[in-house]
Amino acid sequence: MNTNRRSFILARRVIQQRLADRRTLALMVVVPVVLLSFMGLLIRNEPGKLVVGIVNEDQGISIAGATFNLGDRMLAVLDGFEEFDSQSMTAAEARRKLDAGDADAVITVGDGFTQQVIETNRLALVVEFEGSNPMISDRLTKLLERVALQAANVAAVAGSPMPTANTPNTANTTGVETTIESRYVHGGADYDTLDYMAPAMIGFFVFFFVFLLTCISFLRERVAGTLERLQATPIRPREIIVGYMLGFLLFGLLQGAVMLLFTVFVLDIHYAGNLINIFLVEMLLVALSVNLGIFLSTFAQNEFQVLQFMPLIVVSQGLLGGMIWQVEDMPGWLQPVSRVMPLTYANEALRDVMIKGESLLDVWGLVLILIGYAVLFVLLAARTAGRAKI
Amino acid sequence: MTAAIEAHDIHKKFPNGPYALRGLSLSVRRGEIYGLLGPNGAGKSTLIRVIAGLHSPDSGQVQVLDHTMPDKNVLARVGYMTQASALYTDLTVWQNVAFFAGLMGCRDKSAIEAAIEFVGLLDRKNSLIGTLSGGMRQRVSLASVLPHQPDLILLDEPTVGVDPQLRFQFWDHFRQMAARGITLLVSSHVMDEAERCDRLGFMRMGQLIAEGTAAELRDRAGTNDLERAFLHFAEEKGVDNHEH
Repeated sequence: MNTNRRSFILARRVIQQRLADRRTLALMVVVPVVLLSFMGLLIRNEPGKLVVGIVNEDQGISIAGATFNLGDRMLAVLDGFEEFDSQSMTAAEARRKLDAGDADAVITVGDGFTQQVIETNRLALVVEFEGSNPMISDRLTKLLERVALQAANVAAVAGSPMPTANTPNTANTTGVETTIESRYVHGGADYDTLDYMAPAMIGFFVFFFVFLLTCISFLRERVAGTLERLQATPIRPREIIVGYMLGFLLFGLLQGAVMLLFTVFVLDIHYAGNLINIFLVEMLLVALSVNLGIFLSTFAQNEFQVLQFMPLIVVSQGLLGGMIWQVEDMPGWLQPVSRVMPLTYANEALRDVMIKGESLLDVWGLVLILIGYAVLFVLLAARTAGRAKI
Repeated sequence: MTAAIEAHDIHKKFPNGPYALRGLSLSVRRGEIYGLLGPNGAGKSTLIRVIAGLHSPDSGQVQVLDHTMPDKNVLARVGYMTQASALYTDLTVWQNVAFFAGLMGCRDKSAIEAAIEFVGLLDRKNSLIGTLSGGMRQRVSLASVLPHQPDLILLDEPTVGVDPQLRFQFWDHFRQMAARGITLLVSSHVMDEAERCDRLGFMRMGQLIAEGTAAELRDRAGTNDLERAFLHFAEEKGVDNHEH
């Protein structure tokens, strides 16, 4: 018998083994297609409209007997951008919307705006960014530079002695110098994508490792027969679960602390949060990860099958959980899928706590949802831990 | 004194299981070694699991040390050793024994040490289970049901896959434990182990078909061989010898 033949015999055995596990086979084909389509949708997805408010306090000036108010014309300029959902509002409204995160940026046009532009040949756009997502702020800044140019153009046309046709022009041929004066509710001009992603990544890795380790530990407990022995001792299912949670909490928090220190001090991300709040959110995350791991271990007969949970449970939450792409910007039918995932809420809570420096009371809604998930998974895990042999 | 185990008319059926218990009654006296003998699939493990409170019977009643099962509290006075050596392979001998002892409410280091010494593994107490042979693991399994000084030990095929020499040692251990007043319920499908039990129960297809000392059973069957005695009672019951 030659080597090739022996290799063929081995290959046949490998194929027979794989064919015996139909679930793995199906997942090998289905999972990549599903994940690829998610990625395609997310990457090619048109980002949602940017909410830009304008507070117009401009008095205008009179030119050749007519009143010219540049502030009034700004709204028309903004409306010309299909990327914007532009809204006129009062200063108080603007404040409220920015603080609530309902507006991405607000342009404030002061009372002497027109006069200043005409007299000084300088147009300074005063913009306050919501700022918690640096990617949005970047996109806005680029668009607002074009807005300033078009406004300068309008002003130049109005201010020139011989009015010509009002054609928007992106090239600065007007002689009016434009600047953007930026202010930020959260973060700042030097915030980048990493600042946005780091809080979610800390949550993601804690979830990933704690879930995987619990799932495999509990699977082994069941397969090796130690679970049966535990059940023949006075320990109760809920005590088993609490024990698992306490054990993994140590490692989850340690991992979270290391990641936090590394991102803050080595990667130099901006951080406005309170360590205690971050740890409290992480504790919830560890609790729900442990219990989800215990529960799902029921559906695996070996470690291979635990690995199948990776794309299904872990990668999908990495893509759709709002770590990289904002849930609000996803296609409408995909958003409910994101809204089912516990990591979506954990990411949002961690981000609010770390970037915006909010307290747990500020994010109580998210914390409540996370507690809800933890309780649900505890109940499911308790059933798993109490059940005799599978 | 009441019996250590009192099982009355136990019925247990699994939805897809190959075996069940069909109206089984059993009484194990305190301080005796009771041997449960029967072929694979006779329902021995199921019966032991019902006694250990792992399964609730469909009907019938089990009392263990005067407590109706399932009762978590009485389990602290029971030891349960399974077929597979259910241990944590990534922990040491000491850590494994101490873990199960702890769950039983025993934190006494000298008791843990004594248990490991009893099975002759004191020099390996810091070895990882993963590095031990099958026979050694089985001994660790036995050691882990000892430190809390149970009144009753349930042993589900404790000598499966154990070499003859070690099997002999195990039965010495069982005899010593019984001498200390511990009740033992031991299941086996090996007939020669039966000689060392105080009393025997022959199990077949979820029922107890005969009960008594080895000598009594041989006499009643009119043979001097336990294996033949088993076949005799099986035929008497009118069930054929081929399970399925």
